[in-house]
Amino acid sequence: MLFKDKKEKYLFTLPAIIMVSITIYLPFLISSYYSLTEWNGIDREAKFIGLENFKTIFLESGQFFDVLIFTGKYTALFMIFSNLFALLIALVLVQKLKTAKLLRGIFFVPYIMSMIIVGFIWKFIFSQGFARLYEITEFGLLNLSWLGNSDLAFYSVVLVGVWQQLGFYIVLYIAGLQAIPGDLLEAATVDGANIFQKFFKITLPLLGPSITVCMFMSLTRGLKVFDIILALTQGGPGGSTYSATLDIYREAFQYNNYGLGSAKAIIFFIIVLILTQIVLKISRRNEVEL
Amino acid sequence: MKRNSRLKINYFILEVIAIIAAAIFIYPVFLMFINSFKTFREVIIDVIALPQQLNIDNYFYVIDKMNYPRLFVNNILITAVGITGIVAFSSLAAYIIDRSRSRFTSLAFLFIITPMLIPFQTFMITLLKVMNIINLSGSRVGLGIQYWGFGIPMATFIYFNFMKTVPKEIDESAFIDGATTFQTFIYVIFPILKPVTATVIVLDVMWIWNDFLLPLLMVNDSQKTKTLVLAAYNFVGQYNTQWHYAMTAMVLAIVPSLIFFVLLQKYIVKGVVAGSLKG
Repeated sequence: MLFKDKKEKYLFTLPAIIMVSITIYLPFLISSYYSLTEWNGIDREAKFIGLENFKTIFLESGQFFDVLIFTGKYTALFMIFSNLFALLIALVLVQKLKTAKLLRGIFFVPYIMSMIIVGFIWKFIFSQGFARLYEITEFGLLNLSWLGNSDLAFYSVVLVGVWQQLGFYIVLYIAGLQAIPGDLLEAATVDGANIFQKFFKITLPLLGPSITVCMFMSLTRGLKVFDIILALTQGGPGGSTYSATLDIYREAFQYNNYGLGSAKAIIFFIIVLILTQIVLKISRRNEVEL
Repeated sequence: MKRNSRLKINYFILEVIAIIAAAIFIYPVFLMFINSFKTFREVIIDVIALPQQLNIDNYFYVIDKMNYPRLFVNNILITAVGITGIVAFSSLAAYIIDRSRSRFTSLAFLFIITPMLIPFQTFMITLLKVMNIINLSGSRVGLGIQYWGFGIPMATFIYFNFMKTVPKEIDESAFIDGATTFQTFIYVIFPILKPVTATVIVLDVMWIWNDFLLPLLMVNDSQKTKTLVLAAYNFVGQYNTQWHYAMTAMVLAIVPSLIFFVLLQKYIVKGVVAGSLKG
């Protein structure tokens, strides 16, 4: 055995273990405890109230339920549109286009920008830009209240979320497409397969691992949406665009209900854990080995 | 021959469509840029028109008001502290976890990477409390140190996957030459890990530089400790009707990332792909 000196395996992992414990495990454990208390963040002691917070959340008010529905709807649309558009654009950008490299760069630009700034840019577009474009084009869609109407605000948030992240998934799909052996597609062409047959019978199945990664990433990122909504709608209009994370933030840091906020956080954690496991299981099963 | 030229036309049409799509896609960013050069009047009259002249007064005003140089230094400091710790501790841990396989190291590995599954927002409330107690909140270095904990899980995972492919004979020959485990790591292993280190740095710079929620919780109280994005957020909130200043602040907040991207595009894209497929 190489490492006769046993102390190194403790010594070398220690900094990582300590840092992860302090910043993640410890707060997480304390959060679990606070979810069973009533605490306003100012009092010295939190009052233990058992499962009272969970009772409030599940039985007395449907508010957190609405928030979870919003988050679920957002995540579903975010996953669908991000992956669909990214795959479509990736398919175009792997073709022999003269500007392919430049275009890839352009689609990636929003991804390197802070989400808060992205939210603000679109707030400007929705309020000022659309109004002016409508004057010029008289295109009716531009004259709608994209941030003022609660139904439309939902789609606005989805649009901006997808816009910001699209480049990331494009890059992953391009990498996946480039890994597909060209001779496989050529052989299919020789055998007389058309472009759609080639896509559905060869490309798509072989893209399995990329799809798994992209679905998983878009799921976790969709569920955690925060910055974009804060900048774009701040949860409005009429509280219709509160995501789970934004609601937890508001409960704790604006309403000072630290106990209730922690309880919501724990529920959110369990939901995220379950959903990610399900998506991983499903996509693993559908993968095809070459 | 005929088939060939038809193919060419198809490619041409595809290219034109792709260019138009990309132009529409990036138009919001373009609008932000042009409006940052306009006067207040110009923005109100027409947000779409190009500025009448390249007016950089907005920039002088906002750079001064935001105290931009200070924010820039803050961001550099926080990111540098964060990256240094993440790279050092993750590579060290991944090295020993791979080389000394035992019950302890496999448990340690699981312990270190599991937090990747815990969303930050589920413990942010009490994180602030813990950080207040150990004095890591409210300071730039403190914030940088906190990023160690949040960055280590994924970085360790990426390092570990690469460590598995590094032949053990390399360490053995170093040991025979009389090097200690730590020396072997520093002089032999760490240089081999360079491509992974590049991936980790790219991913974590993009993340820490643009991060919003953690700085909002930890360093929002004082002008002196704010990050660039945080200051831009506050500034835009304050100047929400004066779009010409707001746009300028936003441009100033993203320009460093844009330059970073343009210069290192190849590495960034590579890093993002490598980090996701292994992470």
